[in-house]
Amino acid sequence: MASTSVLANVPHGPSKSSKAGFVPYIFLAPGFLLFLLTIIYPIFRALQISFYNWGVFPGSPSTFVGLHQYVREMHDPVFWRALENAAVYMVFTVPLQIIFGLAVAMLLVRKIPGRGLFRALFYIPVVTSWVVVSLLFKFLFSTDAGFVNWVLHSFLHLSSHNIGWLDTRWPSMITIGILGVWKGVGWSMLIFLAALMGVPDSLTEAAAIDGAGPWRSFFSVTLPSIRLTLSFVTIMLVIGSLNVFTSAFIMTGGGPQQQTEVVLSYMYHQAFQFLDFGYGSALAFTLAIIVFGISFVQMRLFRGGVTRVVR
Amino acid sequence: MTKGKGSLWAKRSVALLAIGSLVSMFGVVSNADASSGKKVTITFWTSYSTSETPTLEQTLIPAFEKANPNITVKHVVFSHDDLYQKLLTSAMTNTLPDVVRSDLPWVPTFAQGKVFAQLDGKMAGFDKLAKTVYPGTLSTNYYGGHYYGLPLDTNTRVMFANMDAFAKAGITTVPKTFADMLADAPLLKAQGIYLYGDGGTGGWNVLPWIWSAGGAITNSTNTTAKGYINGAKTVSAIQFLADLYKAGAIPDSMLGASGGMSTYDGVAKGNYAMTLDGPWMNPIWGGGYPNFHPVEALVPAGAGGSSSVVGGEDINITAQSKNKPAAMAFVRFMLSKSAQVAMTKAGQLSVLSALSKQVTAIHPYYATFLKQLGTAKARTPVPNYSKIDSIIGTEVAAAMSGKVTAQAAMDEAAAQIEPLLK
Repeated sequence: MASTSVLANVPHGPSKSSKAGFVPYIFLAPGFLLFLLTIIYPIFRALQISFYNWGVFPGSPSTFVGLHQYVREMHDPVFWRALENAAVYMVFTVPLQIIFGLAVAMLLVRKIPGRGLFRALFYIPVVTSWVVVSLLFKFLFSTDAGFVNWVLHSFLHLSSHNIGWLDTRWPSMITIGILGVWKGVGWSMLIFLAALMGVPDSLTEAAAIDGAGPWRSFFSVTLPSIRLTLSFVTIMLVIGSLNVFTSAFIMTGGGPQQQTEVVLSYMYHQAFQFLDFGYGSALAFTLAIIVFGISFVQMRLFRGGVTRVVR
Repeated sequence: MTKGKGSLWAKRSVALLAIGSLVSMFGVVSNADASSGKKVTITFWTSYSTSETPTLEQTLIPAFEKANPNITVKHVVFSHDDLYQKLLTSAMTNTLPDVVRSDLPWVPTFAQGKVFAQLDGKMAGFDKLAKTVYPGTLSTNYYGGHYYGLPLDTNTRVMFANMDAFAKAGITTVPKTFADMLADAPLLKAQGIYLYGDGGTGGWNVLPWIWSAGGAITNSTNTTAKGYINGAKTVSAIQFLADLYKAGAIPDSMLGASGGMSTYDGVAKGNYAMTLDGPWMNPIWGGGYPNFHPVEALVPAGAGGSSSVVGGEDINITAQSKNKPAAMAFVRFMLSKSAQVAMTKAGQLSVLSALSKQVTAIHPYYATFLKQLGTAKARTPVPNYSKIDSIIGTEVAAAMSGKVTAQAAMDEAAAQIEPLLK
């Protein structure tokens, strides 16, 4: 129904773009060239490097090894662990960012006192530096001198000992995840807020007249109305979570014993610490393919859902 | 009048020529480039700390520029990690500086990549300078039959002890042997004190224990690790650390847990009775914990005696440098006695063996470091050392945590390191 009414308003006949000739392309050219130079070229260069034992320095020989770096990945337990850690981070952070972001947006879409202040406060973590907040969280969750352990152990006596938040794999991943959620909720909130402001009041009022309670109204009216936004937020958060790097790199450095490596921190160590750019490029390319694949599936799923809703 | 003017001009010309000749002669002595009269600027990249940089910029560089008026030195300082990344990217884009103060493990990597210039047989005075420095420090510049730099400053790790912590357990002396450590561990644990704290299990951390136990990472020519890193003596050193960890004498932070207390805080506060560290810690503790007075001691001796790891920095000239004669003049200057004494006062231990007495007069605590340097060894000078270091760190931590036996961990390390030495 909605699609028909929208399409009806689209003007037909020769489009303005066909009359404009080359002018739009001239305006597009600088940005497109920049895109080619800074995105497309490095991607293909990285792909090329991944087929070599790459000599980093000028004049150093680079040996073509075909798919060896990718085969090496398949037999590398640290790569699989890094991928698993990134997946766990995604599973932990994406739903929580969506739930908390939507909840805060639902609260702040209403006309309540101090609404602007609260919106700003929730958005502040988004604009803070990843490096700064990662260091801050590292200190907060420090085993012997951290504020969190002081509260849990010394103040509230909820724990009999200081918890080693960053000492072993899963507590470390949870801590890194908590930082990810705290920093990401503001972004989800902002996107959801924009979407919620676009939901016509008449729909929720009609639902109320039909006897729908707040929950029923939320699930049957509000959520379907922001479905496209929900899919956008989900896809973006999944991409971002699989690309987690700064927080993991700063808070644990991939340790102890490479237990908290994520794919990008492992890639960084291989390329920039060990100068194994061939393997580092293969890791980066594999992650890019995985992210692309997951995003493609998500888009297909959400598009199917949207089609069903429109029909 | 005209004649008079001409005579005056002739006299002035002769005088100018004479002065010019003298300057030129002085220039030949101090700087090869000055003979051409061409002014050059050399760039020097370092990771000097805020306490060392003023000595370089306000004392040494002005002195060098005064003696070499045609050379200007532009000093650029980075953090340690940033310098490495900057060198990597600059090497790839041909934008390297002329002179670099490098961390020791970087030298073989950059020598192999032809980033650093060979100095033996190329630099005037190299052989003479090479004889004045500690042999162990010079070896860190050796790769593929040639020297790609000279040592600039040196250090090693010695034991820093908190005697108040030992006193709580009724111990009055710093352990001198592995056996002493095993005996002291339960006494300190009973007081809630860790015997020994450290920040990792990489080469910098565990090589003193391996070498003191008589073990090794590779053979003397660095061509094989099998039979060395997994040899009986190396395994005994790792087992010794594993036993201490199991006995509660070493905190989790040594195994890479990043949430634990640092050795800086731990030793000063008495949570750890001792740690291995370098001479920079004395002024750092002096600033942060003025009431803490660490006692320095040699690494406790094992079956192989007391040994430690050579640290410090080298000074290298890049192959891309277009001002190599000026860069070489600067390197010679930085290894002069006056420059070495000035940097020693700023906290950088001199590499000149002839200055040992003068050095201990500057800071008495240097005496222990100089004694330890007598038996200290350099880390394996191979291009893949950073990878080897990571393998050592992972496998030693696995053995210490009890996940695998010390022998199994070192066998795995040997298998992984072997292809990296080819």
